[in-house]
Amino acid sequence: MRILVFSHYPDLAAELVSAGSGLGDVSLLATSDMREAVSGIKGAREILICEGVESGDQETLVELISGLASDFDVILLSGDRRGRELVGQVAHRVGGSSAVDASGLSVSGGNLIVERMTFGGKAIAVEELALPAVVSVQKGKFKPLEEGEPSIREISPPSMERRIQVVERREKPKVGVPLDKADIVVAVGRGFRRKEDLKLAYDLADVLGGVVGATRPVAADLKWMDEEVWIGISGVRISPKLLIVVGASGQQQFAAGIMDSKVVVAINNDPKAPIFEQSDYGVVMDLYEFLPVLTEKLRKLKGV
Amino acid sequence: MDIAVLIKQSLDVQELRVDQDTGKIYVEDAPTKAGDIDLNAAEEAVRLKERLGGKAVALMLSTWGSSGRRQKEAREALTRVLAMGLDEAVLIMGEGAERADTYVVAKALAREIGNRFQLVLAGEGSEDNFSGLLPARLAAELGWPYVAYATSLEVEGDVATVTRSLEDFEEVVKVKLPAVISVTQEINKPRVPKLMEIVKARKKPMDAKNFSSSEEPKVRIRELRVPKVERKRVIIEGDKDEAAEKLIQALKEEGVI
Ligand SMILES: Cc1cc2nc3c(=O)[nH]c(=O)nc-3n(C[C@H](O)[C@H](O)[C@H](O)COP(=O)(O)OP(=O)(O)OC[C@H]3O[C@@H](n4cnc5c(N)ncnc54)[C@H](O)[C@@H]3O)c2cc1C
Ligand SMILES: Nc1ncnc2c1ncn2[C@@H]1O[C@H](COP(=O)(O)O)[C@@H](O)[C@H]1O
Repeated sequence: MRILVFSHYPDLAAELVSAGSGLGDVSLLATSDMREAVSGIKGAREILICEGVESGDQETLVELISGLASDFDVILLSGDRRGRELVGQVAHRVGGSSAVDASGLSVSGGNLIVERMTFGGKAIAVEELALPAVVSVQKGKFKPLEEGEPSIREISPPSMERRIQVVERREKPKVGVPLDKADIVVAVGRGFRRKEDLKLAYDLADVLGGVVGATRPVAADLKWMDEEVWIGISGVRISPKLLIVVGASGQQQFAAGIMDSKVVVAINNDPKAPIFEQSDYGVVMDLYEFLPVLTEKLRKLKGV
Repeated sequence: MDIAVLIKQSLDVQELRVDQDTGKIYVEDAPTKAGDIDLNAAEEAVRLKERLGGKAVALMLSTWGSSGRRQKEAREALTRVLAMGLDEAVLIMGEGAERADTYVVAKALAREIGNRFQLVLAGEGSEDNFSGLLPARLAAELGWPYVAYATSLEVEGDVATVTRSLEDFEEVVKVKLPAVISVTQEINKPRVPKLMEIVKARKKPMDAKNFSSSEEPKVRIRELRVPKVERKRVIIEGDKDEAAEKLIQALKEEGVI
């Protein structure tokens, strides 16, 4: 099997190389602005570097990857937004099958077998994909390889007429510890009435040495958090040792992002909130009453 | 300018029952509805149409079989977006559609779209499958550019200006129409139709078409499993002091604090 992998993010590209190497020979594609960033990635047979294409140019990337596809059986992309945006376009251009967010990959009977979450996280589907197959891979599922020095091959850019023009790019503020790497997470939901009240959650997280995450509406809609990183099926999947969910209902799309947490605590004043079904410990109480008490007791315990 | 809005009949995942012990997934029992994000796409189409004129048409290819109940649900989902202000709806249904994957659905919807529309709006991901594959494939099939994750959208002449939200930055792009654009939940607040509007919507044109396709799907679902998540589900009783003490004790025993 010949596998082509590409991601805008070097750490995800390294994971894709690892995912692909379980299936066959891997070629890692990079644009020339990523040359440095991918130079340390091990385990691919070769790195293809395309001069004259910028990694932010999605339209040209579709053309470039589709053009290379005839030499490959499987194309692996990353599960971030730009990665996912490419999957369907490339798959259709090459007349191939597709799937997103694969957590497992194998080959059987000339098909690619993909495991992935579906029904908002309520089920896992095992799908048989005809080759060629274009698949995005779930973040964090494959460990980067430590060996295998790739050769470098320069390739030339496609020539094409562009219809999409990027006119502005605004960086979003970066978070300290990324949610998906944190040991302790306090997740806040719309049960908080005002942005200032989130201090209750930050205080709790501080005492525990944890970080604060949010549901999608708090982060993306109300924009109460610095960053636009929310927990769930369309955001980050987390796997902390301890997750404390405060004032979030636990709708399925949020719940899908917390399944790998070790211990889950829910604080919600509605005894019928679905979050209690997905928790180890539940406290049915007004967060405004309970959080200050909990934080104070933990502070005494920890002597901070 | 005429706009097509893609409305997927989605399984209501909140209502879907699964049994962790037997591994059974009660797909047949769960209701279906228009996906939440599809309503954002419909809302955006109505707003654009109000500004720019032209028609906005809902397109749905139902892949949940054609039992009486599923047909009724599909029609209800379309009536809802008609009540929001879309002008017409097209419902494609029939034998073989349950097996259709995004490759087959994209081909079928592209035939319906042809060169009748200048803009296709979709959700960034469907309620029950959240892949974003369909609009991307449709764009490729039509040979149109594709821009995903729109959080705002303006159209002037044959150029759309789209602000889109990516993990580490926001991007503003200009795209030449015709194009396929997918939207996020943050782009707008879908209006909730009044009873009167729903009554009126029942009189709007809804064109039922028979699904037919010579294409073979490229993806086959081999198995659906229920993920195993074991939770203790202990409710901690007592007033706020007692509850906090008990919770801290439990977390100490778990070894997580
Ligand atoms: C395709 C799709 C993808 C989505 N992806 C995501 C995703 O990735 N992540 C995500 O989070 N959402 C996602 N959503 C949205 C999701 O469906 C829910 O709307 C969202 O998770 C609800 O957020 P919430 O719990 O903060 O708000 P609500 O559902 O409004 O819940 C607020 C909770 O706070 C409780 N509460 C209120 N006051 C208090 C108080 N004083 N003390 C204690 N508790 C209180 C209430 O009882 C309620 O349970 C997605 C939706 C769709 C359709
Ligand atoms: N069968 C369908 N009929 C109409 N629109 C669809 C269909 N499937 C997907 N869509 C549209 O494509 C979007 C993304 O769906 P998906 O690719 O399944 O994540 C949805 O939000 C809908 O707007």
